[in-house]
Amino acid sequence: MTDDPTNGHVADRDYVEIQRFLYREASLLDHRQYDAWLGLLTDDVSYRVAQQIVRDAQTGNLDYAIVDEDAVALRARVAQIANPKLTHAENPASFIRRFVSNFQPTRGGSQDEFAVESNVLVYKGRTTIPEGRIYVGERRDVLRRVGGALRLARRDVRLDHAILFDGVVSTIF
Amino acid sequence: MEGTGPTKPATRKTAANGARGWVDEKRGLVDREAFVSDEVYKLEFERIFDRTWMYLAHESEIPAPGDYVVRTLGSAPVIVVRAANGAIHANLNSCRHRGTKLCRADMGTAAHFVCPYHGWSYEHDGRLITTTFDRHFPDGTDFSQLHLIAVPRVESYQGLIFGSWNPDVIDLPRHLGQFRSYLDAFFGRTPLGMQVLAPPHRWRVKANWKVGALNFIGDSQHVVTTHIGPLTLDPLRAASKGLAKVADESFQVFTDAGHGATLSYLPGSVPDGEYQSYTPELERLYEQTLAPAQRELLRRLRVIVGNVFPNLSFIESQAGPGEKAVILRLWHPISGTEMEVLSWVFCEREASAGYKERVLRMGYRNFGAAGLFEQDDMELWASGADASNNRIAKQFPWGFQTALRFLAKPESSNKWPGRIYRPADTEAAQFEFMRHWDKMMRANA
Repeated sequence: MTDDPTNGHVADRDYVEIQRFLYREASLLDHRQYDAWLGLLTDDVSYRVAQQIVRDAQTGNLDYAIVDEDAVALRARVAQIANPKLTHAENPASFIRRFVSNFQPTRGGSQDEFAVESNVLVYKGRTTIPEGRIYVGERRDVLRRVGGALRLARRDVRLDHAILFDGVVSTIF
Repeated sequence: MEGTGPTKPATRKTAANGARGWVDEKRGLVDREAFVSDEVYKLEFERIFDRTWMYLAHESEIPAPGDYVVRTLGSAPVIVVRAANGAIHANLNSCRHRGTKLCRADMGTAAHFVCPYHGWSYEHDGRLITTTFDRHFPDGTDFSQLHLIAVPRVESYQGLIFGSWNPDVIDLPRHLGQFRSYLDAFFGRTPLGMQVLAPPHRWRVKANWKVGALNFIGDSQHVVTTHIGPLTLDPLRAASKGLAKVADESFQVFTDAGHGATLSYLPGSVPDGEYQSYTPELERLYEQTLAPAQRELLRRLRVIVGNVFPNLSFIESQAGPGEKAVILRLWHPISGTEMEVLSWVFCEREASAGYKERVLRMGYRNFGAAGLFEQDDMELWASGADASNNRIAKQFPWGFQTALRFLAKPESSNKWPGRIYRPADTEAAQFEFMRHWDKMMRANA
């Protein structure tokens, strides 16, 4: 097994395992299997989502958080949308479909971590938005091997939106 | 039973006969047209938005000379900029030549504004510097007339910058009137005042702008049903800290200029000079800065929601134990059934960096573009507009009946200005807002 220099010296077997992890994780979210999804997170997970304010190209856009959660807050956020009695935004449940692509893993800071960039495109439909909406963004994840299995330790999502076009975000990216 | 039948199937008030108004004062009802109609929306520009003060930005968003943000004032894009001498100017973001946007970014820093199309350039205050082809203009051209189209009135209060397209609008302090006393307690309570902590969260929602204003001026009745999620999961652990309880002296207030608020108090009492849910590092600054009555406003405050007429709202809520986030909210109208929301988190400039960071994160966790409270509001507001914007539903008004018994008996206070209504969980302030809106829509017909 040789490292592939085009994907940041991640061994092929690691590359495949990371791909499998990202697809499984997206599928669990698509099917609202939140408990199983939460099981894929490390105990110290952090989760941030940003939108952007448009600035000149010389300066570059500024991204700023709309969600910035530690493990406890993320679990509370998920608990709200997971329980039909505790949410109107997700009851009835939105049509949600995640498309994860362009992922590029690299070795992370420590031997058991990978930094993974990916693109994400999320379709959302509701009775109040019958035509549907698409969120597009870039994710920077940190995956960590815990007890032999990959876990999500950090997710940083930068949405390619200056204005969010469907009320507010009740979706996990 | 009031409000169970059509009010006027044959005489539906449309924009064309709007002089009669949309509000049924006796029955506590409001014509649904007011909340869905694009005709009413267009009339609002003529009769309200182009006549009064509208919010633009906070001074802390443009701290240095040349700093600008682009905002929408009524229907038009505007550059709000700080000039070299510190003065704040607001001009239409459109070149006098062929209309191109001078700033195509939403924020930045610029020494001048140079039109990317033909190179016309302007000073921060809007004066034309050059067209680059001045020599080809007719002799005697007065280039000073080719100033950017200025917002004729720009004034600040507690760092809150307002503009008006009406050159004859009353001064901002008079417009804010008695409500200044309440604004001071949230935007001017320390010597250095408040600052914006991050750019505004921005989203659109398919609901009329007035639904936002009504929700924030005082919709205590929606809290438990709409926000059952965060109230049950209680991310602030408010219930265990007794923060969910509301004292009887909680009240709603409405002032003559159309501004109002709802203040919910914690039960119990606190000794003089102490505060029940603020942070000690800031309390001593409140003691230095605020008048005694304003300090009393804060001592046992749980949460305040308020609205500056027409569409600038704010909420101060618990961000964590001893932490309070002030959130400012602009409900910018896009159509009869859509608005764009801008939402800023504020904090005292004197606060520590760590406090600011916590307040920012907790502020938008609850009220922001992914807010745990906000997400359910937006869903239900959009659903209300969706279901109301049709010929059948529009024959049936929206109800504000729980205002009526209380509007008849406002209290006055020797400490706090305005008409005060108790208890705080009626629709008194909301219906006052609609009456004020209706009065302006009729008066300016």
